[in-house]
This record gives sequence, structure tokens and C-alpha cells, in this order.
Amino acid sequence: MNVIKYELLKLRSKSRGWLGPILVFILIMVAFPLTVEISNKDLGQSFFSVLWIAMLLVMMLATEDIFLEDYNDGSLEQFAISNINMSYLVAAKIFIYWLLIGVPISILGSLFCLGITNSTHLAIHILPILLVTSYIFINVFSFGNALSLTKGSVLGTLVTLPLLLPLLIVLGKVVISINLNLNYLGFVGLLLGVLSIIIFIIPLIISYIIRAHLE
Amino acid sequence: MYQVDRAYPYILYISMALYVVSIVWGLFLTPEDFVQGNSYRIIYLHVPASFISQSLYMAMAIASAIFLIWKVKLSVYLVRSIAPIGAVTTFIALISGSIWGIPTWGTWWVWDARIVSTLILFIMYLGLISLHDSFSNHEKADKFLSILVLVGSVNIPIIKMSVEWWSTLHQPASITISSKPAIDLVMLYPLFGSIIGFTGIVISLVILSSKLQILKRERNKLWVKDYV
Amino acid sequence: MYPKVKATNLSYKINEKKLFQNISFELFSGSAIHIQGDNGSGKTTLLKIICGLTRQVKGNLELKLDKKVCFLGHKNALKQYLTVEENLSLLGVNDHPDLSKHLIQFGLNKSLDINLSSLSFGQQKKIALLRVFLNDSDLLVLDEPCVGLDQQSQEYLCTFINNELTLGKSILFSSHISLDINSEALNLSS
Repeated sequence: MNVIKYELLKLRSKSRGWLGPILVFILIMVAFPLTVEISNKDLGQSFFSVLWIAMLLVMMLATEDIFLEDYNDGSLEQFAISNINMSYLVAAKIFIYWLLIGVPISILGSLFCLGITNSTHLAIHILPILLVTSYIFINVFSFGNALSLTKGSVLGTLVTLPLLLPLLIVLGKVVISINLNLNYLGFVGLLLGVLSIIIFIIPLIISYIIRAHLE
Repeated sequence: MYQVDRAYPYILYISMALYVVSIVWGLFLTPEDFVQGNSYRIIYLHVPASFISQSLYMAMAIASAIFLIWKVKLSVYLVRSIAPIGAVTTFIALISGSIWGIPTWGTWWVWDARIVSTLILFIMYLGLISLHDSFSNHEKADKFLSILVLVGSVNIPIIKMSVEWWSTLHQPASITISSKPAIDLVMLYPLFGSIIGFTGIVISLVILSSKLQILKRERNKLWVKDYV
Repeated sequence: MYPKVKATNLSYKINEKKLFQNISFELFSGSAIHIQGDNGSGKTTLLKIICGLTRQVKGNLELKLDKKVCFLGHKNALKQYLTVEENLSLLGVNDHPDLSKHLIQFGLNKSLDINLSSLSFGQQKKIALLRVFLNDSDLLVLDEPCVGLDQQSQEYLCTFINNELTLGKSILFSSHISLDINSEALNLSS
């Protein structure tokens, strides 16, 4: 419990760490209607692509120093020596990042969906998808960040981005299924299944990687 | 090392001969396909290339698992040496696929699941090579390479199953283990020949690449100084 | 009496080149070892091996500790964007009875609300040292503990460490300058 409390304190105090990504997301979503000057109907169709890409980019930005800062100032070393289970620490960190960045972005994304497509049905159904997807994104990008801890975050992101492309394909189909009211719960179940596997495996893998970095 | 050196020329030349034979057979002696005309013959390059690129990745995944569990250094040398060859084969598969696409589909690229997943495989190969080479500490680099290979192996089932899960433009497999092949026998034999021949060439390339890797990494040892 | 740390024939290689080999020592409770050596001889690496951070080492290492290890390396493990008090709460020493005594000695008892980034290098090192002063472990591993400290604080640290030795703790430290601590020497350059 202490670990989660400390991580919350750390991220909350570092306001550029969580407020920054949220504001960038808002800016991107606001910029989108400005660049597209066509009728309302077409706006709705391409809106979702912009939403997924914006979320992808913002999560990439947000996790750029999730472990880097702790590695650089020696906190990771101290964690490795202490009795705390490293995977638990990693999972707590990722959870706090999701709580302070992923959840607000999902809610904002849902509101933007309401504003641009004018359909409450879409907006309400997209919210759980956004919540689960943002958690998956954060997990995968933290994995990338951990891999390239000493080499700059670009390499890690580049290498893990291809792993998320199949997820984007699935997300495209989810939107179609919401529109046609077809098999929506099936997709939610699929995403939750993927998330539940990832939530356990990624912290284990990341803690192994971090220990390898500290050697 | 010496035994491999002796066997190597045989493997290379036999497989090259086999491949050339099957290519010639496929190109000149088989009849035209009912629907596609002569353009289907690129199958003798495309199918072996894509089959090999996926099998190489699976081989890398198995070798990475062996390295992580039993700490056998030779496996990770194997992984590192397979990576560029896998990248080239995937590239061949993609290019030959696009060339095939022009006469059959009218376009050289389409955003269908199997093609995109193969592109992802290509990017993963490149990412693996760049990740391993960016670390100066070899022990760390090896560990990260193995982990990334294993995590990326979720892509392989996606490639294989994508033609079943989503009805896509890419045609489903003509050769499956359980049912009768969907392709005519006359074309099937050169296809098998070309798959085996291509595999042989690739194996000889892997042997060459692994030799290079082993010599490079162990260069401070005494036996290398004797060998070179 | 068994030794707290027993190392036999430790050898470490990096990128297939040997850093040090066949290092052996025994560390009993109430005693200290001063690790000496030239730059690059592997002092920090050896300390990290003792802490358990590095495992790629040949040889035998046995640790028999009742409590955990307290490690202070080159990096402070403090957050620049938090205040001194918040950093101390992260360390878990906020309500330690001896805290104010050490803070007064370091001259930092009025700086609890200041952001860590406003303190000087030496002052930040002193805050990091509080982890050592208020430790609850029986093995202290210190990597160049006196870097950046003024003369007065160095003497305070040495007095404190000698006191810890009488309490039965074991201490392993590396330092380029000679410190006034009762310790054996272990030289890595030979």
C-alpha cells in the first residue's frame, strides 16, 4: 500500500508529468476539426482514427520517463536492494500513471466523441474501450521504455510500436461494431482478456529488464 | 567449427541446385493457371519466402527461450545471426507479394491483416537488430534481445490465423496438414521443391552468419586465434 | 561467530575482459572494510555485487544478515521536484526520533520546506546521508560517502560510523581519501 501511496505522491507533485499529456491530448483533439473542413457526417467517420492516434501518441509521450527518472537519480537501485517486490512496484507505477493520465484522457475522449459525432450511444460505449485501451498502451510503452532505459526512449518506442498495430486493427472493428450494435460485448471481452494477461506479464518482464539494466 | 566448414559447401550447392531446378520447372514446365494466367508463377518465390520468414522467427523464439532458461550463449549468437536473414526474407516476401498483387488485385498494396502483420514482422526484425547493436555491454544486449523476440512472437499467430479470423483479400493457405491441397498436383511438386530449396539456401546463410557471430564474440579466446 | 559477508574468489568480467579476479574477504559484525583501488579498478562494481545488484559474477558470495542492507551509492535517490520533508517521507524516516538531531548538526533543520533543487550539492548529499544515519539494517555499504561534504560533516560521519561499529553493524565502504574509521583495507588494484 505504501508503494502506491508514494508513487501517487511523486506523480501528483510532478505536475508536468501528468498535466502535460492531458493538455497535449486536448490540443490534438481540438486541432482536428480545424484542419478538416467538410460536412459533419464525414467528420464523424475520421474522428475515431484521430482519437486512437492521439491516444497512442499521448501515451507514448507520457511514458517517456516512467522509469528513466528513477533510474537516473538512483531510486531504482534502492528499490532493487530493498525487500519490495520489483514487479509490484512496476505494476503500481503503471497503475498510477493510468489513474492520473489514462482515465482523464478516456473521459475527455468520450466527451469529444459526444461533441463531434453528437451521439450519446457512441460516447457511452466508447468509454470502457478507451479505459482498457489506454491501460494496454501504457503497459506496452512502459515495456519499450524499460528496454531502452539507457539509450533514449525513442528506440524503445520504435521497437514496441509494431506490437500495438494489431490492436489498432481490432479497435477499428470495435467502432464498426458499436455503430451496428453487433458483438460489442465480445470485443470488450477480448480487450479485457488481453489486458488481464498483460497486467500480470508485463510487470514481471519489466522488473527482469530493470534488474538487467542495473547490473 | 571445422566439421561445419567441410559440410558447408555441400549444403549450399545442393540446395542452390535444388532451388534452381524447381524454379525452372515451375517457370517453364507447368501449365497456366485457370484464373490468374502466367503471373501466378511468382508463387515459387513468394510462398517459400513468407514461410521461411515466419519459421525463422519461431526458431529465434525457441533459441531465445533456451538462452533465457539455460543460459546457453550459443543460442543467442544464433538469434543475432538469424535476425538479418529473417529481415531479408520478409522483405522478399513483401516485395514478391506486391508484384503478385498488381496483376491479380490491380494494386500493389492493400491494408489487409496478413499483409500488415508481415510488415510488422519486418519492422520487428529491424528493431531487434537495432536494439542489440545499440548496447555496448554484450550480456545486457543479449538478454534484451531474447526478451524482445519472445514478446514479439505474439505476432506470428496473428499472421498465421489472420486469414481465418477475418475474411481478407489474401487467399488462404493452399497447403495444410490436414486437408487435401487446394492446388493442382502439377504445380504442387515444384512448389515443394522450391520451399525445400529455399530453406536449404537460408540454412546455409544462417550457418555462415552464425560462424561470423561466434568468431566476432569469442575473439579473445585462444581457439579462435588458432582457427583464424 | 559467523561472518556477515563471506566472499571467496570473486571474479568479474565485462565484455569478456576481466575487471578483478580472486577477491576474497570475510566481514564480521562490528568490523569495517575499506575498499581501495585506482579509478576503474572495480570498487563500485564490487559494492554493487555485495548488495545483490549484479549477479554475473564468478566465485562464491554468502550473506548472513538479520536485517536488510543499507546502500548509498553515487546517486542520491532523491526527487528534485519534492521538498526536503517530502523526500524524507519517501525514505520513510519522517518520524524517526533522531532526525532533528542530525538535521541540526547538518544545519538543515530550517530547510524542511525548501525544494530539493534549491539546495547545494553538498547539502543534497547530506540529506541522502540521512538514509545511512537513520538506518535500520545490519550491513552498511557506502560508495564514496564523503564526496562533497565539508570537513566538519566528514568528521561527524566518521564518528557516527565508529559508533555503529560498536553497535555490532558491519560496514563496507570505498573512499579515495583516508577516513578515520577502524577498518581493514582491501586493495583491488593488485
